[in-house]
Amino acid sequence: MEGMAGQKSTLTWAVHISVALLVALWLFPTVGLLVSSFRTAEQISNSGWWSAFSAQKGQLPAIRISGEEHEDGGLYVIDGNLFGSAETTLSAWGTSSREPEAYEPDTEVELKDGWTISVAKSGDFRLTAPQSFEGERLPRVFATATTPPEFTLQNYKNVLFGTTAGAGVGQAFLNTLTVAIPATVIPILVAAFAAYALAWMEFPGRALLIAAVVALLVVPLQLALIPLLQLHNAIGIGKGYLGVWLAHTGFGLPLAIYLLRNYMVGLPKDIIENARVDGASDFQIFTKIVLPLSFPALASFAIFQFLWTWNDLLVALVFLGTDDDRLVLTARLVNLMGSRGGQWEILATSAFVSIVVPLIVFFAMQKYLVRGLLAGSVK
Amino acid sequence: MHPALQAVLTIVIGLGGCIGYFWFSNQLLDKVLFPPRGPNIGRNIRRAEMIRPWLFLFPAIFALGLYLAYPVVATFWLSLTDRNQGGAFVGLANYQQMLREAKFWEAIRNNMLWLIVVPAASTGFGLLAAQLTDRIRWGNLAKSLIFMPMAISFVGASVIWKLVYDFRPIGQEQIGILNAFWVWLGGAPQTWLTITPWNNFLLMMVLIWIQTGFAMVILGAALRGIPEETVEAAIVDGANPFQIFFKIKVPQIRSTIVVVWTTITLVVLKVFDIVLAMTNGQWQTQVLANYMYDKLFRAFDWGVGSAAAMVIMLLVSPILVWNVINARREMR
Amino acid sequence: MTKRNTPVRGTRAVLGSVAALALCAGAAQAEMVFTPGEGDFNWDSLDAFAAGHDLSGQSLSIFGPWRGDDQALVETVLAYFEQATGADVSYASSETYEQQIVIDTEAGSPPNIAILPQPGLIADLVKKGYVTPLGEETADWLRENYAAGESWVSLGSFEGKDGKQLYAFPYKIDVKSLVFYVPENFEDAGYEVPETMEDLKALTEQIAAEGETPWCIGLGSGGATGWPATDWVEDMMLRVQPPEVYDQWVTNEVKFDDPKVIEAIEEFGWFAKNDAFVNGGAGAVATTDFRESPAGLFASPPQCYMHHQASFIPTFFPEGTEMGVDADFFYMPAYAEKDLGQPVLGAGTLAFITKDSEASRAFIEFLQTPIAHEIWMAQSGFLTPYKEANAELYGSPPLKKMGEILLDATTFRFDASDLMPGAVGAGSFWTGMVDYVGGKSAEDVANAIQKSWDANK
Repeated sequence: MEGMAGQKSTLTWAVHISVALLVALWLFPTVGLLVSSFRTAEQISNSGWWSAFSAQKGQLPAIRISGEEHEDGGLYVIDGNLFGSAETTLSAWGTSSREPEAYEPDTEVELKDGWTISVAKSGDFRLTAPQSFEGERLPRVFATATTPPEFTLQNYKNVLFGTTAGAGVGQAFLNTLTVAIPATVIPILVAAFAAYALAWMEFPGRALLIAAVVALLVVPLQLALIPLLQLHNAIGIGKGYLGVWLAHTGFGLPLAIYLLRNYMVGLPKDIIENARVDGASDFQIFTKIVLPLSFPALASFAIFQFLWTWNDLLVALVFLGTDDDRLVLTARLVNLMGSRGGQWEILATSAFVSIVVPLIVFFAMQKYLVRGLLAGSVK
Repeated sequence: MHPALQAVLTIVIGLGGCIGYFWFSNQLLDKVLFPPRGPNIGRNIRRAEMIRPWLFLFPAIFALGLYLAYPVVATFWLSLTDRNQGGAFVGLANYQQMLREAKFWEAIRNNMLWLIVVPAASTGFGLLAAQLTDRIRWGNLAKSLIFMPMAISFVGASVIWKLVYDFRPIGQEQIGILNAFWVWLGGAPQTWLTITPWNNFLLMMVLIWIQTGFAMVILGAALRGIPEETVEAAIVDGANPFQIFFKIKVPQIRSTIVVVWTTITLVVLKVFDIVLAMTNGQWQTQVLANYMYDKLFRAFDWGVGSAAAMVIMLLVSPILVWNVINARREMR
Repeated sequence: MTKRNTPVRGTRAVLGSVAALALCAGAAQAEMVFTPGEGDFNWDSLDAFAAGHDLSGQSLSIFGPWRGDDQALVETVLAYFEQATGADVSYASSETYEQQIVIDTEAGSPPNIAILPQPGLIADLVKKGYVTPLGEETADWLRENYAAGESWVSLGSFEGKDGKQLYAFPYKIDVKSLVFYVPENFEDAGYEVPETMEDLKALTEQIAAEGETPWCIGLGSGGATGWPATDWVEDMMLRVQPPEVYDQWVTNEVKFDDPKVIEAIEEFGWFAKNDAFVNGGAGAVATTDFRESPAGLFASPPQCYMHHQASFIPTFFPEGTEMGVDADFFYMPAYAEKDLGQPVLGAGTLAFITKDSEASRAFIEFLQTPIAHEIWMAQSGFLTPYKEANAELYGSPPLKKMGEILLDATTFRFDASDLMPGAVGAGSFWTGMVDYVGGKSAEDVANAIQKSWDANK
């Protein structure tokens, strides 16, 4: 028996390690994006996100000297510091792109027209000339330096409060909620009634209807856009919330009915039969018994439907339109990226801005999700 | 009006209308049309019972018919017509044109790969994660983290993975973790997304990453539903953990595995965002859904686009038939 | 579980310009950016327009390709239209604007005015009867007031129900034949800005011989990967063949697999398919994102010395890059020996009426006032061939320099891939170029593109 216990503990360790590996593998890409959202565009494209936490030694892009000139002993002088951070230390520098590491710190170097320049380890520089710098192009300095880790909240400021998007994000948030809440609840309600009818009521054509629902699970969404918008325009709904709700309802229904019916069929038969004998009508049985019992299944479908109405862009754009005061969050964030497509820092930041609510919903309702799915598909 | 107030009002009206329908229609049936009292009580109850299923079903049938069935029919019709000839009927010409395109066959081939690899890998990883996390204390945390990608949109996921696969020329610092790792191992940096046929698998990885959480949650629940006695009996018989898992547990949750597998298969057939965002079907990575999107909205060739859609429907039909048969068997 | 969402459409990048950069820093307000009456603007034209149009209570919806900073810019122009007419203007855009406009017009809910950079797409909409003609008067106006007016009229004219006539009004153009470089890197290495294509090729060889990399080329653009190469090929086409051949190429009178076209593709290949000439080697060209590609110019040590791109690209230069100082551009030169003049490749956006109304008409008339051009050009990213617009108002010296390139042009041609049918110009041409830099021969690629063109006739 002792051998078996030993075997068991190695096995437990193996399990811990495998799970840790699996989680790490799954988490890595997301963490990469999260870290990137706190870095500047330049940092993102110059070094990997995993190196963001350690000091980096490397050649910085050319830094142009700038500052106010003043006179000092007959010379015109500009002095200042090359770096934004006090912890950056210089190890070599140069003034030509061909020789970026030509000089040691503190060397004084002569440039054209009697100009001289020196750069210290700390990045302090001193540029001198016999004449005024007025109207002259100031030199560039190529620095090889060690820079400490640096993070910024600027990306989030831009996305949430920037001039092009800022004013609209709050409104877009409300718009998304206005789309997502009814687009989640309406299909559940409609599907619950239908699922009950398909599970517990006897009527001709039931099997055919179930087959049809299953068949419709697979219709690709892109097909439906044009015919449906045409229809909305023809019957006067046009573009608006009603249209979006109906569209999301239509697209979400097959899965909702499928999951809910599977769940309801599995409910104990006696309870329903007894209620029938006691003279309860189907409406009463449904609202008083079946609906409360089906809560886990309802909740799990609600999570899925909410997640995809929240993340949806296409349906909202087509059926709600692109008017400024009706843009949903995803559309607003996409517009932020400018006419020419994405930039990493904005993409990363907007991904996290839009993911927050779905994550909260997911973590809050996780236990229902599991229970609902369990009953819906486990036989 | 304040936008928040307006939003609340809109929501209330939308939901109220929906709840109102069910309540009032049932009230109408029970109280006005066929009240279960008076001289015709028996007949009234019977009639009410005949009508009620349809009251319950009406909104669902209406929405399904309008939003899904009608577009399918419309698409089928479009696939037989040519818009450039003013919507004239052209028979199977669009299909013939499609069958002649190399890109179509490439898409079919890749789709087959996707159909095999993604559901298999997602289900496999999901099963593994479900089994392992079940046995440790921090299992729930691990589950949540693995499930998280489900909450990210496909496009967001594509962005995340593009960063993973990013390429920088040799000598520069790599910012994509795959290349960084590869270089660390001593390799030369690769433009991963252009290397056929492996790039297909890199794209599939994105969907696997998203879908594993789903598989894990469902399969985990099923595993927990297995009666303890069967497992205990096996232990007594001296089975090792692997035998228990594969010989005892997996067979018992086979039907759940099938459900997970088919659900993921359906997702695979519809997904085009990932391919569109990452390679747009270049370097031999085209898939049917993206081919269709390309034809519909880039070439404006709706005939061929619709024909491609019908092919997707056709590919799905085995699952469909199987599902229908299953549903019927259950009802007996 | 299924998730339905977001098609990312790597938008064909044709818009914008140099000094968009300057604007990134300074916030754009949708209110009057320039006080009427001040500065060298043609304020009279605004007053005259206002006097002739009262649209109070009417609304005007405009759908365009501009998002982000560009959206803020176009809204500054629209503010003056609103103020002059009293109309209520709403501007909208979408990342998938090409798809969106098709869905909206097909479904019968179009905006009043649509603005698109793809004449090919507009032609499609005209053919289906969704666009209202602008009339012969507007065509005459263009002929008279736009430099090289006739070419603009023909650009905006399409085959509709009642024959070929003017449907779209060109507004805001963009120069593509530019090579960007860092002047100080050239000075450090002792290079001169080349005046002829022969010099450019010699410089390319010289840089490579010195062990440096001459070019940064990136074709990556998500769903639109490949398009930067089409600009290269078009530019080379104008430099090896007379413009007439270019026009025939666009209409497929000259087939895509014609030796003339193959020659142009191979001219591009001379630069892009040589490992020593491009940063990262030829293999990196197709996957390097076009937005990140120019970063090589500013790296230390430089990863490349030159970058061919349209006027919008400085938006993607590192933050704080000052055009004219830290970076500059020169005209992509022509062969001295071919004697084809100074051809310029460009692109632009065209406005057209998708839902006719008094306000729609008024907006097209508004575009005929100098002020509608001046407001934008005085800020950033806007070039115009309108002769009455005051060129002194250009918001920055680089913008003015681009304006000059435009004026010096002996030939101006619109981006061919935007004029070709969508399946080619936004499809097989892009993917073909990716295959070409990936190793296929120019003949094979040209053949495949021609085939896709035949299939779409």
